[in-house]
Amino acid sequence: MNDPDSECPPTTDGEIAVINLQSARLRSWTRFFQDPLQPGVAEGLIEQEQFTAQFAGDLSALDRVESLTRELIQVDAGSARTLLIQAQVASTLHRFSDARQYLAQAELGGAPSEDVKRLRLSFDQACGVNLGAVLDARRRIAAKSGRLEDLVALGALLADLREFPEADRVYRRALRSYPDVSPFAVAWVCFQLGVLWGELASEPDLAVAEQWYGKAIACLPGYVKARVHLSEIYSSDGRTGDAEDLLLPALASGDPEVPWRLADLLTAQGRHREADVHMNAARSGFEALLERHVLAFADHGAEFYAGSGDDAARALELACINVSNRPTLGAFEQAYEIAIAAGETGAAAEIATTCTNRWGHTPAFRLSAFAQHCLNDREGVAA
Amino acid sequence: MSDHVDGPRQIGDPSADLTDLFAFTSPENPARTVLAANVFPTCGVNAFFSDAVNHAIVLRRAKVAGIGDATKFETSDPEIRFACRFDRLERSAADQKPIQRGTCTLPDGQTLRFVVNDEKGASTPDGAFRVFAGLRSDPFILAWLLGGGAMRKFQNLLQHDNVLCIVIEFDTRRVLEPDKGSLFGVIAETLPLPRAGGFIGHEPPRLDWVGRPEQTNIRLNNSGMKDVNDVRDLWNQQTPFAIDEKLRPLFLQRLKDSLAVWDMRDSKQDWTPAALAANASMFLDDFMLFDVAKPITDASHLEIEKSTLNGRAYMTGGGRTVDADVIDVLLTWMVNRDREFLEGGTTKATKPGTKTFPYFASPNTELQTVAETVELAAAPDRIWELIGQFGGSWHPLIANIRLIGTGVGELRVIETIDGKQIIERLDAIDNAARSYRYTNIGGIPASNYTGVLDVKPKGTGSSVEWRSQFLASGQGTLVVKTIVSTLFKTGLESLKSRFGAAP
Repeated sequence: MNDPDSECPPTTDGEIAVINLQSARLRSWTRFFQDPLQPGVAEGLIEQEQFTAQFAGDLSALDRVESLTRELIQVDAGSARTLLIQAQVASTLHRFSDARQYLAQAELGGAPSEDVKRLRLSFDQACGVNLGAVLDARRRIAAKSGRLEDLVALGALLADLREFPEADRVYRRALRSYPDVSPFAVAWVCFQLGVLWGELASEPDLAVAEQWYGKAIACLPGYVKARVHLSEIYSSDGRTGDAEDLLLPALASGDPEVPWRLADLLTAQGRHREADVHMNAARSGFEALLERHVLAFADHGAEFYAGSGDDAARALELACINVSNRPTLGAFEQAYEIAIAAGETGAAAEIATTCTNRWGHTPAFRLSAFAQHCLNDREGVAA
Repeated sequence: MSDHVDGPRQIGDPSADLTDLFAFTSPENPARTVLAANVFPTCGVNAFFSDAVNHAIVLRRAKVAGIGDATKFETSDPEIRFACRFDRLERSAADQKPIQRGTCTLPDGQTLRFVVNDEKGASTPDGAFRVFAGLRSDPFILAWLLGGGAMRKFQNLLQHDNVLCIVIEFDTRRVLEPDKGSLFGVIAETLPLPRAGGFIGHEPPRLDWVGRPEQTNIRLNNSGMKDVNDVRDLWNQQTPFAIDEKLRPLFLQRLKDSLAVWDMRDSKQDWTPAALAANASMFLDDFMLFDVAKPITDASHLEIEKSTLNGRAYMTGGGRTVDADVIDVLLTWMVNRDREFLEGGTTKATKPGTKTFPYFASPNTELQTVAETVELAAAPDRIWELIGQFGGSWHPLIANIRLIGTGVGELRVIETIDGKQIIERLDAIDNAARSYRYTNIGGIPASNYTGVLDVKPKGTGSSVEWRSQFLASGQGTLVVKTIVSTLFKTGLESLKSRFGAAP
């Protein structure tokens, strides 16, 4: 690979950008409370809260966007604008069924057709619906606009479809053509490239993933997700001290993935009492999130309980909730693996059948590790 | 808004977004000229400048090259450039507010270092140049709702907003040499730093630029025009003083179409086709004109352009002062060609400009404080056991309280007995010191709200203090202080019946 530094444009220092984001976010809330109907204020605020959740790991941002919709409903219930915002917030919380209903009502109420199309496309992509049409649309939009967010959406879809080399090219194009200076944008693409090479690719390249995660953190030192993912690479490589150093500053974010991964690290070092404290914090953190936003965190919760959260039944329950809500190939893979690990062969077979019916005809399915599992199982049964 | 958020550009850094440009005679010293540019619309009170952006104010000498329907202003080399760059943040200690320094490169190549938010600014040793950069109250006034082709008077939409402001003051005679011509065109621009390995000699694409107010948000992107492409990003990428010849017809046609729509906003046609075309052509050459040999006042904005289009010599120095009501001036010109002044819902910004450097009013950051105390007969630990729980239900005005999350970062959702909802976030807790700090997220008409509750030993009993700092918003300061004070007093008074008042 090339050096990430040479592929990324200069960006505003991450500390400045985060201070500016948080400071502007507070100002936006004031403006929103002064006049919730002022055009653009609620929309801008949702974007700022999404950034806060995505890049600072402050998941209370999700509660705040919910409270924003409640405030809007009080003053402007049923308007196309409010319904569009409700749809956007519902999708942020992965409540896609609600989101589609709000969007349909917004469309009937005269919401701008471009906004309706854009949201519907993102819902379809997130839920793995009509992906052929979504891919065509994503290619068209990215070619026309060349905007970073359109290229990232295309790259993410290509990665979902197991088109890894093309996804890599699209992400890098997003970096090369980005004309602005936001570290959020650049760190986001670097993170996506880290996930692509560290977790999604059929032949992962952890060295490449490490470089991209490292660049994401260099752009944005407070990028909690990037710290968690890079710490996993360090940990898998025996660099536990480096992994711990990455996680400790992120503890204050409140994202339960941080104490979870830290607990794993400490356990591996025999520091069980410290590990217990962090594991308890992780467990209560996940449960608090799942109580409020089960659909948004079902996959993360399933991963936690399938791992050192150590509750296979809860993991399978959450994985199945996630599949019902977002029947993507990745969601099926996760549920299948959790069912197998839990010894729930009946459930695993049912998941395999449903997945095969839904995804079996696609090239992505044939490239997936999941397909190989299914094949092995069938061969085992036949033998 | 003048140039606030002027395009649908992809995820960008709002601190690179130029809002306004000013050019006026120094109120302190008529022999000096002040140029100023603002960035970062509706920024927060802790905002800093991007360290990855070049902020420049650029002048060229101008002349009147045609009048009436042939109006033309031509500019010439050399350009006079002031360029500011900002550093990363510095902290002397982890818990101290960071500071930022910057460097202004002056037209003669000198550099001037300054500290952001230092109101005294920095001056060159000979005093010819003085520079300030920092947070100020946004002087812009937008007191109209202009969406969908309507024009409705409204309160100032930027009330209480702040911006990041760069102010450059200099000796007019020495820097501009007005004997060679006293009329100038000025623009401000933000440019990203060149990429590593970028082509030498190829400037990176411009992030934003501004000449006269509202080229992008009102003239090029007229909300009264249906089904037209948004050309603001394309415009922002143009080179000031040198709009791409291939794109000039496109922009000119858009301006003509837009100005024709503006003319008919009051259902009366005030512009002949020829005059409208001349007006569009004038606006296409987007630089703000000012003449340092004539008076620049709060009322002189656009006078140079308007007089020239009307076929007569201009009388003022044009430019733009801090308090100029530029939107009303512009709308009046476009809608009825100065037949009748169109005044929005207010002609006053949040704060007026000042007569002393840096001329832009202090930022809107006045924090209000409410503090209430009660002295109780019980030991601190007993009281803390009850009120030290962030989600504890002990306050008589609270009907229900629910916690989301745990530890630092957790939210408490409070339902008051009169049905209101208050959401607060725990920022820090110290059980040993019996103290916690929290932020109000919603439910109190205030921003930047920080509260602290603590219990301290006092004599044989305890002292409980509950205090907060905030900016009132949405309602008057007195009203908000009364709301908060009542909440605190009622809660603290209720503790007397549980623990007994200190003798």
